[in-house]
Amino acid sequence: MTWSPATSERADAIVARYPERRSAVMPLLYLAMREEGRLTDEGMKEVGDRTGITAAQVLAAASFYTMYKREVGRHLVSVCRSISCHLLGSEAVLDAVADETGVPDGETALDGSLSVESVECIGACGGAPAIQVDYEMVEGMTPDSARALVRWLLDESPEVIRSDDLQGRFGGSPSFDPGPVDPVGAIGPFPAFGPYGTAAT
Amino acid sequence: MSEMVKLTIDGKEVEVPAGELIIKAAQDHGTYIPRFCWHPRMEPVGMCRMCLVEVETPRGRGLVTACTQRVADGVLVDTKSDMVKKAQEGVLEFLLINHPLDCPVCDRGGECPLQDQTLSHGPGESRFVEEKRHFEKPIPISDLVMLDRERCILCARCTRFCDEISGDPLIEFIDRGNYTQVNTFPDEPFASYFSGNTVQICPVGALTATPYRFRARPWDLEAVESTCTMCSVGCRVSVQASQNQVLRLLAVDSEPVSHGWLCDKGRFGYEYLRSPARLAAPLVRGEDGELHEASWGDALATAASGIKDVIDRHGPSAVAGLGGARSTNEEAYAFGKLLRSVIGTGSLDARIGDAIDPVLLATGESRALIGDLETAKTVLVWGPDLKEELPVLYLRVRRAASALGATLIVIHPRSTGLDREATHVVRYRPGEGAALLDRLGKGEGDLAAVRAALDEGPVVAIIGRGGLTEAPGLASAVAAFVAGLPGASILPVARRGNVHGAIDMGVAPGLLPGRVAADQAGRDTLGEAWGTPVPAPGRDADGIIEGLADGSVRALIMLGTDPAADHPHRARATTAITAAEFVVSLDLFVTDSNRGADVILPVEAFSEVEGTVTNIEGRVQKVNRVAPGTGQSRPAVEVLGDLASRLGGSLGGPADALAKEIAEVAPAYREITWDGLAWGEGRDGLVAAAPDGGLPIPEPGELTGPPVAGMALHLGRVLYDAGTMVTAGPSLEKVMATPAAHLHPDDASRLGVTEGIAVTVKSRSGEAVIPAIIDSSLAPGTVYVPFNFGLDIGADPGVEVVPVTGGEP
Repeated sequence: MTWSPATSERADAIVARYPERRSAVMPLLYLAMREEGRLTDEGMKEVGDRTGITAAQVLAAASFYTMYKREVGRHLVSVCRSISCHLLGSEAVLDAVADETGVPDGETALDGSLSVESVECIGACGGAPAIQVDYEMVEGMTPDSARALVRWLLDESPEVIRSDDLQGRFGGSPSFDPGPVDPVGAIGPFPAFGPYGTAAT
Repeated sequence: MSEMVKLTIDGKEVEVPAGELIIKAAQDHGTYIPRFCWHPRMEPVGMCRMCLVEVETPRGRGLVTACTQRVADGVLVDTKSDMVKKAQEGVLEFLLINHPLDCPVCDRGGECPLQDQTLSHGPGESRFVEEKRHFEKPIPISDLVMLDRERCILCARCTRFCDEISGDPLIEFIDRGNYTQVNTFPDEPFASYFSGNTVQICPVGALTATPYRFRARPWDLEAVESTCTMCSVGCRVSVQASQNQVLRLLAVDSEPVSHGWLCDKGRFGYEYLRSPARLAAPLVRGEDGELHEASWGDALATAASGIKDVIDRHGPSAVAGLGGARSTNEEAYAFGKLLRSVIGTGSLDARIGDAIDPVLLATGESRALIGDLETAKTVLVWGPDLKEELPVLYLRVRRAASALGATLIVIHPRSTGLDREATHVVRYRPGEGAALLDRLGKGEGDLAAVRAALDEGPVVAIIGRGGLTEAPGLASAVAAFVAGLPGASILPVARRGNVHGAIDMGVAPGLLPGRVAADQAGRDTLGEAWGTPVPAPGRDADGIIEGLADGSVRALIMLGTDPAADHPHRARATTAITAAEFVVSLDLFVTDSNRGADVILPVEAFSEVEGTVTNIEGRVQKVNRVAPGTGQSRPAVEVLGDLASRLGGSLGGPADALAKEIAEVAPAYREITWDGLAWGEGRDGLVAAAPDGGLPIPEPGELTGPPVAGMALHLGRVLYDAGTMVTAGPSLEKVMATPAAHLHPDDASRLGVTEGIAVTVKSRSGEAVIPAIIDSSLAPGTVYVPFNFGLDIGADPGVEVVPVTGGEP
């Protein structure tokens, strides 16, 4: 597995930003995920080659972080279960998602269409209960709106997920400060963090 | 001398060097603070929390980890207070939460730091009633190491060893969090040359070695301290046996040499000792032309009469001796004395055409010790790939470069294990070493920085033969160049077990015991001591092989040597031995070299005889006996002595008597006695040195041959080659490497070779068909083939590489 020229170029630029090559491990792992839709063994070896460390050392870093996913569907639905969301009914939201998709918490649909997970605080207590789809936020969810959301995901299989779009279609009352609007949106089950050099251009 | 500070440990005032860790200071003054993660040869991490002690400082009393806290003047340390005891009990209760307590079926039981410290410092019971973590037990993480993750207490000793010491971090903490575990990357096994060290330093039974698993209980083992003889570094070891079988080797820390580490070849290489193929009785060639078991009396009589017959008909110079590099000093001395004094031949060699000039190995000029690497500003390695040939020396050089900040220069035809740590890496085509040395001396072009680094003393240069197609004299030229630099010293190296000792015992035509030149004066002095004349220098290994082939040498005595495998031109050596009229072999096995011998005498080996060996720096160390040899094997010293008496001479008795004789007749060994070598705390052998400054660095001789036609062949060694000591043990046989022809990408595309296809490597001496590997670390125009895999390509510098038509990948 070798990376596409564009990804390769991006990886070189990221590595060049650090005095030590191995410091680039984490952003390169996002690149590896973007390249293949999930983090594969080959992806980790590639990261190891580019940072001058062994594949085992890459795995040591990658396996600590839950957002580096070795198994993930085309879309990732993350339901918050921390205190604010929990008090406002996130358990019922998660149950509705699992019921509608047939995918239990922490698992991936057999057809690879989507993964469901419950996560700790995603910073949307003001708009609880909150869900993220491919790390794009939607707030003020109910079991019914969550059902509609995942049904839409499964039926439409949208190419790009955008937070403001989700909020308009399925969201309820958002928090007073929803944060900056991501102008790009997510095009895969991995975060599109601009500073890490992985945002789509 | 570093500054000293005074502190109080458990009410006792002690003085220790400033900057010392409390745990070390306490240990040096008789107080053992319990610990799991701290290892004296590695950086502290403070992970296991077991070494908590109470420290009273001007800011109050508190618990600190003794492995991370450095001493300061006036500090009060309490290692046994109630607070400490409570903390240690708490830590152990935590460490045992997930530990399975399967001690009755655990290999570590009886010598387990966790078991021992739980008994001495633990709470005795646990409040943890929940389910423990569960993992599949045990999983193989390499061919040699098994991992039981349930037993692991996550001290990170193994992972830190790989990262810090051996430089091959193939195991790491995976899934950090509640399920943190040590593991490898999927499908990338823990194939480190040093993996056995992690087993030894594991403070629980999480890592176990497959060769020793379930073989014995530690309390049933009988142990002696000894010296590893697998290569010539001379690591201090504890050899442990049960029921007359060696079952394991453990490293013993020695400050001057090993720092407590071993390579896996040394650690697990003992299995050849109990190989079923090992000779159990003397073999004599019968009337039918086959080898038959014989009694010792018959075998020795046949051997002696055969040799005597050749002497009678062709004179003593028609007899020659090869070997001794796998023997003790006493055996090598007896071998040399048998040949020179009893038989009267000057043709003998412990090298087999593969080492550098013996005079360089024995030189007294500007000699370095391994320990000089600790203070070196610049380290030059121009010779073998140390990781493949002298693994623990590789660790010491790696430490100098990575932890001590030395500038490391590596000059070799291809990438070596040290390149990652090197400041300067210089590659060259075999055969062009002399030209490179010339350019380096002048500091031309890209070598200016390298040359400048060599002016930054102290310089330690490790010099040997980079490959077997390299002119052997190149090392002498490099040594002469380095010795001319200010503040520089040299460590000339050859690889095989006790080759340095055998050379020191005079098993080389130009040298007499004790690093004395075999000139008239030297021979006269030795002859006086021996009471027999000492013949003039005869042939070296190559000369002996030529002589056997052309009939000027008729009889050959081999002591633990396998020229058919180890001589660079193995086919030539095999033919020569076959042509010999009479061959006596003292060995452990029937090999390609002695298969045609007339008499094969089984001798005792490492761990079966007492004696001394000499390492690369000239350090003489004891080897000891813990088990008997197979069957009727006898100590080589006795066998050689019996042979001598049947030839009408005498060698001077058993090994301890010979050791005394060596101290008398070998000037460099004058101060060295077995009593003085007895192992003990801080007693790590004695360094032999010629009293008068010793021999000068020899002249290099002819360095440049005719220009190489075709591709230049680089014949280098790998650790797990097809040598008898690897193939005769089931564990190392599993990890044996496979030979391949390594080509530079440019050459590969020119020749139409792709990775994995079969190629023919052809020289004047022979050819071999092996798979190709594309290797961009080679200088273009070079083909690298690992040596000692039974290939018949010889060691001519120029070869031809041709892809095999229809060669399947």
